Amino acid sequence: MEKPIIQLENVSVGFGPESDRTEVLTDVNLRVMENEFVSIIGFSGSGKSTLIGLLSGLVKPDTGAVFCKGREATEPGPDRGVMFQNYSLLPWLTVYGNIELASKQVFPNLSKAELKEHVEHYIEMVNLTPAIEKKPHELSGGMRQRVSLARTLSIKPDIMLLDEPLSALDALTRANLQDEIIRIWEEDKKTVILITNDVDEAVLMADRIIPLSPGPNATLTESYNVGLDRPRDRTTLNHNPEFIELRNAITQSLMAMNAEAKKLRSNTELVMPDIRPLDLSAA
Amino acid sequence: MSIKYKILKAIDVAGLNFLRPVILLCYGEEPEEQIRKIGLFIAVPIMAFCLFLYLWGLFAPMHKTKSGEVPTPSVVWDSAKGVWAFHVREKNKANAYNLEGDSRDKLLEQAQTRLSELEPMVARVNEQLAEADGAMQSSLASKIEPIKAELDSSKNAMREAQKARQADLQARAKAIAADDTAAKEKLLEDYRAHLAQIETERESLRSYEEQIDEIHNADFPQRAEAIRAQSAIAEERQYLVKLIDTLENNRQQKLSDIETRLEGFESSYYEASGADLLKHAKSITRTESLMVNAADSEYAKPMTLPDQVLRSVACVFAGFLVASLIAIPVGIVCGLSPIMMSALTPFIALFKPVSPIVWLPIFFIIVGGFIPDPDKHWLIAGLAELPLIGWMKINPAFIASALTVAMCSLWPTLVNTALGVASIDKDHINVARVLRLGFWSRLIKIVIPSSLPLTFAGLRISLGVGWMVLIAAELLSSSEGLGKFVWDMFNNGSSQTFAQMFVVVFVVGIIGLLLDRIMIVFQRLVSFDESPTSI
Repeated sequence: MEKPIIQLENVSVGFGPESDRTEVLTDVNLRVMENEFVSIIGFSGSGKSTLIGLLSGLVKPDTGAVFCKGREATEPGPDRGVMFQNYSLLPWLTVYGNIELASKQVFPNLSKAELKEHVEHYIEMVNLTPAIEKKPHELSGGMRQRVSLARTLSIKPDIMLLDEPLSALDALTRANLQDEIIRIWEEDKKTVILITNDVDEAVLMADRIIPLSPGPNATLTESYNVGLDRPRDRTTLNHNPEFIELRNAITQSLMAMNAEAKKLRSNTELVMPDIRPLDLSAA
Repeated sequence: MSIKYKILKAIDVAGLNFLRPVILLCYGEEPEEQIRKIGLFIAVPIMAFCLFLYLWGLFAPMHKTKSGEVPTPSVVWDSAKGVWAFHVREKNKANAYNLEGDSRDKLLEQAQTRLSELEPMVARVNEQLAEADGAMQSSLASKIEPIKAELDSSKNAMREAQKARQADLQARAKAIAADDTAAKEKLLEDYRAHLAQIETERESLRSYEEQIDEIHNADFPQRAEAIRAQSAIAEERQYLVKLIDTLENNRQQKLSDIETRLEGFESSYYEASGADLLKHAKSITRTESLMVNAADSEYAKPMTLPDQVLRSVACVFAGFLVASLIAIPVGIVCGLSPIMMSALTPFIALFKPVSPIVWLPIFFIIVGGFIPDPDKHWLIAGLAELPLIGWMKINPAFIASALTVAMCSLWPTLVNTALGVASIDKDHINVARVLRLGFWSRLIKIVIPSSLPLTFAGLRISLGVGWMVLIAAELLSSSEGLGKFVWDMFNNGSSQTFAQMFVVVFVVGIIGLLLDRIMIVFQRLVSFDESPTSI
């Protein structure tokens, strides 16, 4: 069997002190193959960002282990590029400066001219050349996320971890960036793990979709393979029966999991003791 | 369009946003709105200031002090001009000491011409003053005479009446029989009434005297004007006399005098023989050392207010620099390490509220310990040799004042830097972790830039605190500067120096304002979000 490029083995993570512990993720197993585009989908608050933290090494598992290219990964590194939900651009640097900082650190041997060419190449790739000298606060949300994408691409990671990169954007910008991410991915096939809460987005972009059950004690469930041919055309996709079927299946499974979780949660509620204060005035 | 944008941007960075509507008006953008804004941001403050000047001018003369009336705005303005004239004249004299050859002769000639022009003017103002004196005396006399006459006549009348009453009482006392109790009681009552009468009469006489005093004290504008004119001319005359004196005895003149003497000694040395030789040799060597002294000599220029302002600004920047060099690194360390923060918190809490008045004597003694003999110390000598600050004569008092400024002003920077470093966005740290930045590049590329806006906000507060502290420190340490100027003026205690203290109020205020503006510009330049800086 082919070896996975990144792998989670029985990973659990929780927060808080012993007495009041919240288990966010329990027994998570994940195997992602090289050049695969995997989408993890879940409700907000189900621990999606913690999962990205685990994969990137920013969060340490309580139990279990994270393997990257066959070796246990305990520290974050530029081989796993993260595109953060809230862009995480350095506000005091320009678009160029942000990407330069990352590129310089990861490729210290580039000459000045090579570095400039490298940075400009990635800015061009996300169509931001006109805004190259702008600071993040002068850019729109979509442009900022594109800078973040360019930064992640510029360090040439083996695996790209996209943490809900598009959830803060409006529908049009979002569709635009989805197309852009797919285009770039198809040009230069890489392993991508995309976290999202949007079923359509997942089906449109991914090879494989893994729903995350709602937290606490969230875990990954059975995955769905997306057999749709690429390139996928979003205009005709809505009438594609395979797409509709897949979307419905995933949505229903998520809804079912949510209902179950609610039931479970209501069962764990504290049972109040059936006692009342004694009415002394009556005596 | 782009020029307009650039101007507006520059105005924004400089924190001069009140000029914005003026620029927009020049470009004809929404004229009505711009005029409304100009009215609000420019006309209203100006009117408020004018109102302030008016009320000041109205109320100030009502309060009389040992140093005369509280000065009005126009008096303060005149006194500011006087301070400036004094500065210019002292500078000219210092310059005159260094002049040589033609330029010296030219200046000497100019000064003498002006002096000869002044002589008739002196006579004229003296005449005017005498005239004004005479006018005042006659006016006083004409006002006082009738009151005095009235006073005298009523005094006489009262004396007569008193005598009459006294005599009447005596006569009645003699007539009263030993057992006539009723009559005795009546007499006692009348005697009391008599005494009360005397008291009221005295009271009425006193009111006349008060009237006379008031007339004496009343302002006599013509005479005040004459005195002012006379003293202005007298000052200029004295200045010219001093200037001529300096020119006639300046360094070059002294040197040439000494040289001729030296030549004389030398020729007599070579003519002489035997025991006289040593005597002449002694004269030669002594004259030679005199010559060295003369060559090094400078005009003993007193510190004028502009010099003191420069020295104060230098002092505050010296203290501010020391404070920044301590506060920023310590703040960064505190922000990075909770252990350091916890260790230093008691010190910050304990020393922050201590007044500069307490720190100054301590630093004064400590600096004095390091520099027991300022004239011979290498640091003081070295600083005096430096080009731009040599003239400031940096002394232990200056250093103690600067250290006091540093001690009092480092806290805001320290606390703000620590806060800025500690409150760095976690996402930025995550970026650094993913990129595997080392400690130093993480510090320089992520931590310090992200804390800079808060650090600069702290620096701005620090400089403001430092400027306030400095004036007090200089006043106490007698380090030449604005504080010492105020103290000297206070001790002088004349109405003129009282007005000069008001000049200092405005000088200190304007410089503090400028320092704050400079810091705002820096703060704007390092701030990366669009958050407005408070004015």
